[in-house]
Amino acid sequence: MAGGLEPHLEALRRELHGPAVLSVLVALIAVAITFLIWRFVQGRRSSRKAVLLLGLCDAGKTLLFARLLSGRYRDTQTSITDSSAVYRISQDKSTSVTLIDLPGHESLRLQFLERFKAAARAIVFVVDSVAFQREVKDVAEFLYQVLVDSTVLRNAPALLIACNKQDVTMAKSAKLIQQQLEKELNTLRVTRSAAPTSLEATGGPAQLGKKGKDFDFSQLPMKVEFVECSARGSKGEEGEADLEGLEKWLVKVA
Amino acid sequence: SILTAPLPQERGGNNSFTHEALTLKYKLDNQFELVFVVGFQKILTLTYVDKLIDDVHKEFRDKYRNEFQQKGALGLLNGTFDFKDDFMRLLREAEESSKVRAPTVMKTFEQSLKSQKTVKCMIETRGEKPKEKVKNKKNKGSKKDGTEAVAVPSKASAADKQHSAAGDKEELTKDEILQKNREEFFRRHMKAGEKSRSPKPDAQKEKGKKPRVWDLGNSNAKVLDYSNSATNGSAEACPVEEFDPDMALGDKNREPGRLYDLEYESDDEVEEEKVVQNPSKPSAKKGALGGMFGMLKGLVGSKSLTRDDMDPVLEKMKDHLIAKNVAAEIAVQLCESVAKKLEGKVMGTFTTVTSMVKQALQEALVQILQPQRRVDVLRDVMDAQRHRRPYVVTFCGVNGVGKSTNLAKAGQDPGPQGWGDGISFWLIENGFSVLIAACDTFRAGAVEQLRTHTRRLNALHPPESHGGRTMVQLYEKGYGKDAAGIAMEAISYARNQGFDVVLVDTAGRMQDNAPLMTALAKLIAVNAPDLVLFVGEALVGNEAVDQLVKFNKALADHSMAQTPRLIDGIVLTKFDTIDDKVGAAISMTYITSKPIVFVGTGQTYCDLRSLNAKAVVAALMKA
Repeated sequence: MAGGLEPHLEALRRELHGPAVLSVLVALIAVAITFLIWRFVQGRRSSRKAVLLLGLCDAGKTLLFARLLSGRYRDTQTSITDSSAVYRISQDKSTSVTLIDLPGHESLRLQFLERFKAAARAIVFVVDSVAFQREVKDVAEFLYQVLVDSTVLRNAPALLIACNKQDVTMAKSAKLIQQQLEKELNTLRVTRSAAPTSLEATGGPAQLGKKGKDFDFSQLPMKVEFVECSARGSKGEEGEADLEGLEKWLVKVA
Repeated sequence: SILTAPLPQERGGNNSFTHEALTLKYKLDNQFELVFVVGFQKILTLTYVDKLIDDVHKEFRDKYRNEFQQKGALGLLNGTFDFKDDFMRLLREAEESSKVRAPTVMKTFEQSLKSQKTVKCMIETRGEKPKEKVKNKKNKGSKKDGTEAVAVPSKASAADKQHSAAGDKEELTKDEILQKNREEFFRRHMKAGEKSRSPKPDAQKEKGKKPRVWDLGNSNAKVLDYSNSATNGSAEACPVEEFDPDMALGDKNREPGRLYDLEYESDDEVEEEKVVQNPSKPSAKKGALGGMFGMLKGLVGSKSLTRDDMDPVLEKMKDHLIAKNVAAEIAVQLCESVAKKLEGKVMGTFTTVTSMVKQALQEALVQILQPQRRVDVLRDVMDAQRHRRPYVVTFCGVNGVGKSTNLAKAGQDPGPQGWGDGISFWLIENGFSVLIAACDTFRAGAVEQLRTHTRRLNALHPPESHGGRTMVQLYEKGYGKDAAGIAMEAISYARNQGFDVVLVDTAGRMQDNAPLMTALAKLIAVNAPDLVLFVGEALVGNEAVDQLVKFNKALADHSMAQTPRLIDGIVLTKFDTIDDKVGAAISMTYITSKPIVFVGTGQTYCDLRSLNAKAVVAALMKA
């Protein structure tokens, strides 16, 4: 076996010492450069054209997604995977954003957020205004997790907190939701930073807002807006959805 | 609902799910990311469900294939899926098909073939026997259910291996064949057109009838005596007797029998032999050529994953997980669930089966470790503070896992021995006053240990530096008293004195020790703590499953309430003793679906940690 290989190796060695080596090297470098350029171009093209729809379970993200894209009402189920589609801003046909609807289920949400956060140009955080009183802590916790994420802090995508389900009479107003969230996030940043650190933690948890002062959404590096909307619409399933505020904001952001 | 429970939580291995009075069976189409769910009442045992779900899946996919492929999410939104008529048609077909192959009414003794058994059955020569056995197998292409088909190949392999009389196993399978043959024979003769009944009751019925062979049948000792080869001939000859009256029918049935064999692949009776038998032929052919092209095709992409591709990889991953100290049953279930998720998925370019499986497994593991609801102790303590009641935490676990230690350690001693900090220290650092309830009235020195730590904690945080309140106090009543009573007194004492948190330390107990488990359950049921933490050590292997299951069961059984208090969180101790064999974390979170709240390391300066899911999964997946 080895004897058979030896003459081949010798031949190879002899060949390599020729001018062929140089041409091989040049070819390799050319390939590498093209590869790098291609990656760079691809990165530029696909960078951050996505608008993520986040929120707790049953906040109305999937219905909102369906309404924005097709204008019709659809019965939806709990999402277990993401859905994405291209949304054209109605007046200006040239600009478009990719709407991505992520599942709200606790076991899935962080995993999908990890996948899509780098591509996010804007985030729509959908809040169920009716169940808000009950779910304040969970909403705040998820929002906190989104806000302290290092990628999000670095890219600072515009944040819209959409207070959904305004067609129900018991829905809380956007102002109230804002106040409660600020209070809750204030408490959360104290408790979270005091929580035991994890093994191999790289640095401490990011600080949200300014220390010493009560938390305020204006302290965040990104623009935050609150908007009221209703995916179902006040006329029930047949009617139009009440999404003006949301659509206007999308136009601004795109 | 089905979507929130088994699928996201990686319990998708078993494809049926029970919810209240309904049983839901589901099927995943991974290529187009669809889920097909069939729901029916739990009390009914419908056999055509699996076939129905497969048919629906195929029809739906073929009908709307274009919409999925071309338009993606928009297609799903805008397309109208008018499937109702097709569905009703498929449902009707499935129902009818199940009626056709129904087995029938019980026969009377006269009708059964036992009465027709003649002496001829006893006398048979050895030479003919194997040949007839082989022929029998061909004839027994059953029309009914999988067990017959199974028995046939198993007999074939048995006969091929040995020509001499077999051991007991063969006798049993022959008896089954005996039964089924009789049924078949009878059915054909009598043509009973009865109502549909599932094969399952039939299989049970058959098994129930088996003893009758021994009692009422041939009481000839020769038949019953399987001890040596000579008399085996007589027993084995009985199928031959069946063979004779069946002969005409047997031949007629031979070819149709074989076809039925392949068609009625019911999920109910899945046996390894059958699985081995069927793929053996196709794989033999494809072996050589397929291997070469398969590799190339696999690299280029647009190949969809099949179970066969994934099985070797999954086996390896399962062994790898078990080597990393994940409990064996959990590793199996995890791999099953990953397989279900990946089956049929189209691979992208330049991805190998191994990489896809690894990635899916990694995602699954991260998902398991990231809990349903994060337990934020400080937040909940603040809430309880506002309502002016103490926040009660109970620690339970088996002996020697580190309950008292992790509870009470008072750390921040920069000496070489490094006391390390425990939970009470952490709470005090955050400004909450703690009452430690010594409900371990059994172990010698338990109370003294807590007292020592308390004294040290008080030394580190004297009342003066916290506005005059004692930050930590020990509530104990000595040894030998009732733990539940002490806990109750401690809680009311805390309420009166205005303590923020009560940490209840219980005695360690084995999960099999029924009276102690009852006592623990009583303590928890009576005192209704806010948080029940199970303390487990990271060294435990398969034991973890047993411990947690039994603890939860005990808590559920002895609780009077509608929704019993179960374990709310896990404290994983001795984490520094395992290098990267961190499987215990997975086992525990998988069993309980509750988060790991604290991790005790014990050797570093700062001992109490929280779990970093990504790091743990990385350590697990590391080669």
